[in-house]
Amino acid sequence: MSRKERGGTLRVALAQVSTWIGDVESNKAKHIRYIEMAERDGADLVVFPELSLTGYLLRDVAYEVSGACREALEEIKEACRNIYAVVGVVYEVRRGIVCNAAAVLGDGEVKCVVPKFYLPTYGLFEEARYFMPGNPHTDLRVVNSRFGPFGTLICEDLWHPEPAEALVRLGAEFVVCIASSPLRGLNAPVEGRPWIDHAWSSLINATALTNSVHVIFVNRAGPEDEEFFWGGSRVVGPSGVELARCRSMEEDFKVCDIDLSENARARRFSSFRVHLREFHEILSKI
Amino acid sequence: MANLVKLPIDQLKIDEEKVADYLCSRLRHYVLEYAGKRGGVLGLSGGIDSATTAYLAVRALGPENVFCYILPTSVTPRSDIVLAQNVIKELGLPRGNYELIDIEDIVNMFTDRVKIESNFIRGNVAARVRMTVLHAQAAKNNCLVIGTSDKSELTIGYFTKYGDAGVDVMPIADLYKTQVRQLARYLGVPEEIIVKPPSPALWAGQTAESELGIGYELLDSILYLRFDSWLSEEEVAARLGIGVEKVERVVKMVKQTQHKRLPPEIFRLSGRSHGSDWRYPREWR
Repeated sequence: MSRKERGGTLRVALAQVSTWIGDVESNKAKHIRYIEMAERDGADLVVFPELSLTGYLLRDVAYEVSGACREALEEIKEACRNIYAVVGVVYEVRRGIVCNAAAVLGDGEVKCVVPKFYLPTYGLFEEARYFMPGNPHTDLRVVNSRFGPFGTLICEDLWHPEPAEALVRLGAEFVVCIASSPLRGLNAPVEGRPWIDHAWSSLINATALTNSVHVIFVNRAGPEDEEFFWGGSRVVGPSGVELARCRSMEEDFKVCDIDLSENARARRFSSFRVHLREFHEILSKI
Repeated sequence: MANLVKLPIDQLKIDEEKVADYLCSRLRHYVLEYAGKRGGVLGLSGGIDSATTAYLAVRALGPENVFCYILPTSVTPRSDIVLAQNVIKELGLPRGNYELIDIEDIVNMFTDRVKIESNFIRGNVAARVRMTVLHAQAAKNNCLVIGTSDKSELTIGYFTKYGDAGVDVMPIADLYKTQVRQLARYLGVPEEIIVKPPSPALWAGQTAESELGIGYELLDSILYLRFDSWLSEEEVAARLGIGVEKVERVVKMVKQTQHKRLPPEIFRLSGRSHGSDWRYPREWR
């Protein structure tokens, strides 16, 4: 069924895949399979997790996969003539300088590559050791797709309110957040779910509510060294209500129809229109 | 135990079903997909850690792909051997997937030839003989060696370097002993094994809690509060209502045994060597 036949809704596919670390070739093949599957299901957009082409805990491998990612994107974009895709890549911005980035593919081309702004460097995370952070002035991008403008963020970017808010105020009608969130707190789940799932639920719902937009969250699933990515990808509507959710702890694929006109309805019962820039002035001086 | 009420027992409670499912799925992936092996080999002592690991391994890999070996010396209590044999029976391992191999002769030959009289050193030799036997069996059966260490013992270094810690994967090593007891009950490990005082049985009459001078509930509480919760030694003592010297003693064990949990030191000469700036993933492809 075409988008028109669906009444203008946008169909999103959540590709909650597992990835082999450093094996861009086999990961690329999996991406193409999922893109074809999403297209068969009539999706307008298919979203993969953070660093979906490379794996997450790359460490020194991070320096040596950007070439393979660039080549893989050239091939994957050919599969994206009738569908858009968001893919996680290591992207070399200058010789030897790499970013953890989201590549947006569509209409048979690479539309843009958006780096991660907030690089977690605590606990198991050591991203600032390897990656250059995005610069909000030059890297924040709203992609004007044929199904509406949207922006991409990566994992930790959603743990801060500003990136999503900036994207939405720049005109994004929905926010895509790709993640490689490792499992924490399975030992003693809260209300049957690991602590990390609760934490992310709060962030996703708050982002959707405070900006009155749909948030599409796609997290990795499966093991990598000692870590395990817990999945739980989902779509949350502008009223903070979950519209679709992938299984936890395993690979999954789900499509979800999104009615972007919901944003307008949600904004009639929210203070989204009010933005006191004085708070940002204060913040910028601290 | 008067201060039991102050132990952070609630924080150490686990959701056994979720933990068991998770560990089984990780073990399956690690053995079958990452390592490309058929199954796992482990040593059964009759104690709770190895029994729990065996129950997990069978659940994850199936009884036909788990190989269990009972490797006693003359100081191994007869009752432990019986408990280990019972685990094999309960798990329904096929004939050929288990064996009792008395390693007394091997250990004797070794200690005679190398002139070892200390019980302590002899105990470590026995642990390393077991390691050697298990790796040989693993190679024969296209398996990995599955370790049985728990987090309490690993953290205070209560293990033999390259002995019981000389394994390929440690499925229960992020669970403190008190948490292993919870998991063991859930998996159906026989109650006699769960309530038996833990012992490495490296010499006659050895029990872990008397040798360490502390019970596992208190030990786990100290480790949990100091390292999982980042409290200072003084804060841990105050929280538990114990003297700070008890906490200091445990922390000292952790610090002194740090080398046992790491690969051997390599003195840096070149621009890049194995260690802090040779940082590749384990599942590197």
